[in-house]
Amino acid sequence: MRTGVFEESYSELISLYRNPTQTYWTVALVLAALVAPLLLTNHLTSLVNGMMIAAVGVIGLNLLTGTTGLISFGQAGFLAVGAYTAAVLSADYGMPLWLCLPASGLMAAAFGLIVGIPSLRLKGLYLAITTMAFTIIITHIILSAEDITHGSSGISTPKPAIFGVELATDKSFYYLILAILTLAILGSANIKRSRIGRAFLAIREQDIAARVMGVPVARYKLYAFVVSSFYVGVAGALMAYHIRFVNVDSFSLVISIEAVSMIIVGGLGSTAGAVIGVVFVLGLAEVLNYVIGSMGGTLGSVSVLELKGFIYGLTIVLFLRFEPEGLMGIYREFKNRWVNWPFRY
Amino acid sequence: MDYFILLTVSGIAIGVIYGLIGMGYALIFKATSVVNFAHGEIMMLISYMAFSIASSWTLPFWGLLLVCVFISAIVGLVIERVFIRPMLGQDVFSTVMVTIGLAVMIRAVVVLIWGADPLLLPTDIGDSGVEFGMVFLYTSQLYAIGLLAFCVLGMWVFLRFSRMGVAMRATAARETTALLMGINVTHVYAIAWAIAAVIAGISGVLLGTIYGLGPDLWTQGLRAFPAVILGGLDSVFGAAISGILIGVLENLSEGYIGQGLKEISGFLVILVVLMIRPYGLFGTPEIERV
Repeated sequence: MRTGVFEESYSELISLYRNPTQTYWTVALVLAALVAPLLLTNHLTSLVNGMMIAAVGVIGLNLLTGTTGLISFGQAGFLAVGAYTAAVLSADYGMPLWLCLPASGLMAAAFGLIVGIPSLRLKGLYLAITTMAFTIIITHIILSAEDITHGSSGISTPKPAIFGVELATDKSFYYLILAILTLAILGSANIKRSRIGRAFLAIREQDIAARVMGVPVARYKLYAFVVSSFYVGVAGALMAYHIRFVNVDSFSLVISIEAVSMIIVGGLGSTAGAVIGVVFVLGLAEVLNYVIGSMGGTLGSVSVLELKGFIYGLTIVLFLRFEPEGLMGIYREFKNRWVNWPFRY
Repeated sequence: MDYFILLTVSGIAIGVIYGLIGMGYALIFKATSVVNFAHGEIMMLISYMAFSIASSWTLPFWGLLLVCVFISAIVGLVIERVFIRPMLGQDVFSTVMVTIGLAVMIRAVVVLIWGADPLLLPTDIGDSGVEFGMVFLYTSQLYAIGLLAFCVLGMWVFLRFSRMGVAMRATAARETTALLMGINVTHVYAIAWAIAAVIAGISGVLLGTIYGLGPDLWTQGLRAFPAVILGGLDSVFGAAISGILIGVLENLSEGYIGQGLKEISGFLVILVVLMIRPYGLFGTPEIERV
């Protein structure tokens, strides 16, 4: 009987897979993800695409907020930067997708640096509100820089194509997003088990103590900002290709708040939690759509939206109240019960 | 010069509203170290309630305000009891997220009950106003200035002289010590929420009278953020002063520099100010011990 996971050396402590079982499950998951679009309807594939794109961005946010403990409401701003970079480069300058994606990431990372530097002295809620200010300022800049961004009319992006192969349908685009998501997850997991990730954790727990122990806090905070906004920028670019149209309205503060609520629902600081949180929050919206839609036209269209908003708010509140560790917390508890049964621990 | 005076005066008129809203944020932060992201929404909720009251009974402005003060105190206490108190002892950030969830809920509830169309808050002061030379101010705007002054004075007296106010300052200074000295900290929290809701109610009624009601009234809460940050999150009086500063600044930047700057000039200013003074103009720097 397996009684627990015991790490006996440092290399075991930081290994990507802690035991063979995890490896098998990961392989199974990847295989499932590869065959999934063959079984799903077009609508569902599109939904899953949206989820995976959001997941890329939320994994990035999780590195900043969950791992490094810097609360950011700047998600919408970085998403907008990424999406607009991709849209402008592809629609106006005809750049190919494989160039647009990293370009968006780098652009967002540059903005991350710009936001990061003034934020070095700020902590907690001051930082949260400053990043929120960034989102508001960015949307304003996009609206007023009409020569580049087309202002409030928005930009239509061309169909995604990579190395000459057009990814016209959602199902073909799915594989590209899946590949990027996989890279994102691997990147995040590897950052976390490296020196940088441990420095992030030290900063989250107590940044002065981290500094005393020799972590250059300012530099690592900037790393966190840059890496996180790179992720979010790439997600923004994918979003531009997925929706095929970018407009400032898609990047309101609500997006930032939704992103933070996703990592909280999933479980702060865990990459898997970030992904689960995205699936839960976006899935909840979809299920509510379906339920309210099947109830028929008894409700006006305005109240459908409001009802969704209400249930969404309630979910956040209830999660924080009863399960502050998020869905990952529930999973861990369940796993412990399962492994140790019939004993308590 | 006339243009300058015009911009400044109308800036002050909107700034006092920011100041009032900001005081609510600052009070809650001071007492409980939580930023109440639902403050703008509470304000919206109460101004819609004021609409319902004003349309069922014909009340004079002050009567309406008094009823709303009473109602908002109850709203504040209920919110504290139902949503905030269960979060006691948890991470501050979790409580902040609860207020965000609450904000989303209140927005939905307001539209579900009162609909999404803009409404006018009927009061007896209506469109009347006073002209000072070339500057015209609505009576309601004058009342707003007076009410801000009254709230600042009231808060000062409360925090300086009343037993509860002193207890609140003690809790703000060090919660655990306050608890050990026999202060009922949960009680202090509840009172802080009630007072903040009252201030939100006052600003809601004023906003409803001056600009009318709409489902986006809560964004005024967002617009007041620069004021609180500029003043320092924990400085109630700083919020009042910097509210006026931000209001004037928004108007001047819009008038002299460019269209649309009104929306963001406040946020730009706090970015600069925070780089120099990370705790705002009047905030207390936090001394950290490891």
